[in-house]
Amino acid sequence: MRKDIRNFLICGFILVVVAIFPFFANNFIIRFATDILMFAIMASAWNIIGGYTGYASFGNVVFFGIGAYITAILMEKAGLNFAVAFLGAGLGSALFAILIGLPVLRLRGHYFAIATLGVAEAMKALVQNLEITEGNSGIYLPVLNLSVKAQYYFFFYMMLGTLVLTLLITYLMLNAKFGYSLIAIREDEDAANSVGINTTYAKTMAFALSGLFTGFAGSIYAFQQAFIKPGPAFTVHTTVKMIVMAVFGGMGKLFGPLLGAFSIEIISEILSNYFLVAHTLFFGIVVILAIVFTPKGIIDLITQRKFGIAYFLQNIREHRI
Amino acid sequence: MTILEGKNITKRFAGLTAVNKVNFKLEKGEILGLIGPNGAGKTTLVNVIAGTYPPTEGEVYFEGNNISGLKPYKIGRMGIARTFQIVRPFPGMTVKENASVGAMFGAKGKDRTAKEAIKVAEEILEFVGLGEQMNVKADQLNVASRKRLEVAKALAMSPKVILFDEVMAGLNYAEIDQAIELIKKIRNTGITILIIEHVMRVIKRVCDRIFVLHHGEKIADGAPEEVLNDENVIKAYLGKRYKELIT
Repeated sequence: MRKDIRNFLICGFILVVVAIFPFFANNFIIRFATDILMFAIMASAWNIIGGYTGYASFGNVVFFGIGAYITAILMEKAGLNFAVAFLGAGLGSALFAILIGLPVLRLRGHYFAIATLGVAEAMKALVQNLEITEGNSGIYLPVLNLSVKAQYYFFFYMMLGTLVLTLLITYLMLNAKFGYSLIAIREDEDAANSVGINTTYAKTMAFALSGLFTGFAGSIYAFQQAFIKPGPAFTVHTTVKMIVMAVFGGMGKLFGPLLGAFSIEIISEILSNYFLVAHTLFFGIVVILAIVFTPKGIIDLITQRKFGIAYFLQNIREHRI
Repeated sequence: MTILEGKNITKRFAGLTAVNKVNFKLEKGEILGLIGPNGAGKTTLVNVIAGTYPPTEGEVYFEGNNISGLKPYKIGRMGIARTFQIVRPFPGMTVKENASVGAMFGAKGKDRTAKEAIKVAEEILEFVGLGEQMNVKADQLNVASRKRLEVAKALAMSPKVILFDEVMAGLNYAEIDQAIELIKKIRNTGITILIIEHVMRVIKRVCDRIFVLHHGEKIADGAPEEVLNDENVIKAYLGKRYKELIT
């Protein structure tokens, strides 16, 4: 119990530091931090379905894109304000996750990964050809009527608030029966079923939660950009980033994806500053080394406090790399 | 009183008839042994009862209700727990978490909060003798402890009936004796047991009644001494040497 209080205090302290940080930073840094927060939301949302439930979704960008497009359509075509559009985007993405999850979550392993990849690509093609989404030419959103500095603050705190909500819900979920059912499904789905878990329901709800938060992120992103196109909104690159961040930081750990988003963004920023052309090559090497030596993610390295060579060798042996 | 009943259960996989028109009754409070050679259809029968797949023909009745074709989780929540022949604990979870999952989602799961379920799990683990290893990851247990964990997971579901699928396989003599004691203890709590077993020592010591499957068909049913001396059973399963050994 005392450990809980200590962890709670640490989290509170970090949150306060992050919350007052924009007042001491320039616009560029705030914008960079906003991006980190956005990816932290998406990686944490991916963690619910990919990390805890064990269903590696390769199409989570679809929720991001749908969230962005729902926001654009509700604000631009229906003239609603952002608050309504934001909620609509999250709920719309969650609903889409339920509808698509019911058939797709019947598949396991690689088949699920490929199917979700297909869903995202199909959605991109659909959005490119629909009238309401204005096809490939994209949609403009109303611009936020605030000073430039206030805009930076607004998007930063929107992302931060959404991230805190995502992590809070995930934390509550983990301590509830629902969280246990997800992990049981990841560990052995048939055994989970025979122990009394309605696996279809649990998986679908996990996918919906993942969609909800990713949709929120997409919504804020669209409003921030004030213009969205199908290509960037549904790019598979975003999914890959979510997965790499979650795995790098630590799948199936509450703060793993957040840590992953933070370190991956910083590393890739530093690398691209020093190596203009070859930075992706170096970035790839960093990711490979991380996967080989700390397959449980860097959060494991920190929480276990084992830094010696023995820790790395043990990981390599355990995972038979 | 009959708690679980199979009527004319048939299960075909494409051309293969794994279980053929099997009738059985499980009386409340008894331990029924299910024996037969490899490939006789024992595990298939358990899978049909537990809902892993529906019977091709025939029905399963639990407390008078037809449960054939229901999903495994529904059958689990009604009060039928099972163990798997190849043990299937949740490897990445601790022993306590494993049993907690059973307590959270089993027959009484709806009435328990997560915290209450964890408490139940702790009691059950003490009961089966895993009290010392509660915080160990399930994949770090030895075979005997894993089998105990399978039993604990099933017990935590607060079932009325448990289907044990070869819980003794891979155990040494001392461990088998402990497992037999555990099974008797479980029966004394009022749980009805169907047990698949190859170890005859176990069958003779714990079962009230035995039925024998051979090529998917029931060839004998009755008291242990009677069934184990039955000509057909000896021919199909036990072998001639068994008779020489016991006489």
